[in-house]
Amino acid sequence: MLEGALAGLAALLDPKLLALIFAATIGGVIIGALPGLGATTGAAILLPFTVTMEPIPAIALLATIYCAATYAGAITAILINTPGTTAAAATCIDGYPLAQRGEAGRALGMATVSSTMGGMFSVLVLAVAAPALAQLAYKFGPPEYFALALFGLSMLASISSGGAIKNLIAGTFGVLLATVGMDLMTGVERFTFGMPELTEGIHFIPVLIGMFALSELLVQSTRMNMIMERIAMKAVQLPSRADYLRTWKTILRSCGIGTFIGVLPAEGATVASMIGYNEAKRWSKNKAEFGKGAIEGVAGAEAANNAATGGAMVPTLALGIPGSATTAVILGGLLVHGLRPGPHLFNEQPEFVFAIFGTMFVANVMFFGLGLMGAKLFARVTLIPNAFLWPMVFMLAVVGTYALDQSIMDVWIMLGCGVLGFVMRRFGFSVVPVAIGLILGELVETTFKQSMVMFDNNAWLFFTRPIADIFFLLTVAGLCAPLIMDRLARRWRSGGPEEGQGRS
Amino acid sequence: MGSTATGEARLAPLRERLRHAWQVPLAVLLFCAYVAYLTTTFERVPKALVQGVQPADFPLLLIGVILLLTAVLVWQLIHNPDPPRSRLPATFFVTVGLFLAFAGIAAWVDLFAGFAVFAVGLSLAWGERRLVPILAIAVVLPLAIFLLFDLVLEIRFPRGVLTSLYYD
Repeated sequence: MLEGALAGLAALLDPKLLALIFAATIGGVIIGALPGLGATTGAAILLPFTVTMEPIPAIALLATIYCAATYAGAITAILINTPGTTAAAATCIDGYPLAQRGEAGRALGMATVSSTMGGMFSVLVLAVAAPALAQLAYKFGPPEYFALALFGLSMLASISSGGAIKNLIAGTFGVLLATVGMDLMTGVERFTFGMPELTEGIHFIPVLIGMFALSELLVQSTRMNMIMERIAMKAVQLPSRADYLRTWKTILRSCGIGTFIGVLPAEGATVASMIGYNEAKRWSKNKAEFGKGAIEGVAGAEAANNAATGGAMVPTLALGIPGSATTAVILGGLLVHGLRPGPHLFNEQPEFVFAIFGTMFVANVMFFGLGLMGAKLFARVTLIPNAFLWPMVFMLAVVGTYALDQSIMDVWIMLGCGVLGFVMRRFGFSVVPVAIGLILGELVETTFKQSMVMFDNNAWLFFTRPIADIFFLLTVAGLCAPLIMDRLARRWRSGGPEEGQGRS
Repeated sequence: MGSTATGEARLAPLRERLRHAWQVPLAVLLFCAYVAYLTTTFERVPKALVQGVQPADFPLLLIGVILLLTAVLVWQLIHNPDPPRSRLPATFFVTVGLFLAFAGIAAWVDLFAGFAVFAVGLSLAWGERRLVPILAIAVVLPLAIFLLFDLVLEIRFPRGVLTSLYYD
């Protein structure tokens, strides 16, 4: 393992790989700064382009896009009150008021520093936790993987967009989509409508691209009259000593929160940033400032959302369960390159894994530099008229989808999913659960059937497996989490502890 | 009469909520019914081979879960209705029309001709009037994408009126 780790880190000395990471960082920042795109959409559109690359550069590109885009959402969140990614929604709350009073540079500087610290912290945790979790996965059999996948699906209830019930319906629909094609155990074709192209099932990339990119294109078509007020900015400023003293605890706390939330299946940067922001407010001595330009609000949200990136890679690499929508795309990238996440990946190809850890660390450093020097320039990408941007996105989406298997059926699936995704979003359903359900669907069904074979069709025997029991309990907790979070949110809104009263 | 009027007043908000609460559950119900019907068309495998789980069983289990969740959703929508949805503007319908136009042109004429029509149509529909940038997006970008994919990534595109000029 040590030799593999050193080999992986040595791969970063390749100038071509470093150049790729640099280009991907720029690309990620641009993608993240553009409202409506975001890490998941950007990664999904670029995934087909990585098919002809070697595994390390391919996954390095996607991971870098993830890190950089998650940070870059703060740029437009602060300057035009429109988050470039959903993970920056909480940053708008205090970032934009800071910009309105002429402190955009200060807000962006804090966002850049917090994001970098969050990202680096989570990569260090990733490097330690992922191998350990992968070794634990050696004890997993089909029942454990089934219970784990079920836990992953239950976490869909608590992702931020859509209500819990709607998210679970969407996730179950995603699992149902995964049943299209030939049943591997019996060879029977299901839901193929006699079309040979569907015999191998629905590839998740066209669904992802359709549901994220094309549905967003349709959403943008309904917002033609929206006017975004852009705040002018002179330069990004590094936080002052006073700001560091005020925010260091918030940043550390958000690093931990974000990493933990990221590790939970299906959660991700958006949930992490909201919890990070709420906790920053709860622990602040200046609660009244929140919503009006509290620098801790920016720090808490941004440290958490980038901390979630490394955290989300932990279950993705160690167990093959995506920690977020974007890592679901990265998981797809791993599968497309013939890499099976899990303990075998760590034992047989440690150089690959550690190269990815190193890549994410370097990406954080790069977007720190780019953010400080070029945030003002990157903000100008929002000047690209939608009438030009979205046709470009459409063409890249179509061509990328087609290039996967050179099948025009994938393009039709993508178009259909684009319309379906829009309808779902209009009626309050999130499309993220569909994507995660589709990716986990085959695992859920296969491990369920294998388990039933093991247990001679006695499902009660699932509960004789201690690790599976733990995941079942976590599943129940995951399903109850929205209720608990709703009660906590109502408690916070009604005031919470008064200032001056100590916490017990 | 007075108590009837009071009862009517109490029922009016509930009726209003019920009016809006049926759309999504009905759509889900119809979808589930259709999928359940489709599962009846699957081949059945002899018990000795299938070891207890027929090909239709798992999809039916999922349908059952969706229906259960939808029942909860109905209750939720009655007590906590969705916010009203704004009317969709004309640009949305034009955009969907462009999707269909692209699909038709890509299937029967040429993929890249479809791109050109889509790009011009979308730019104009979304308010852009500068002809030179529109033409650049409609002509230059598809050409650049085609050359990149053909020469660098060695992807063969579906044969159409335009691509055949290159391939032949």
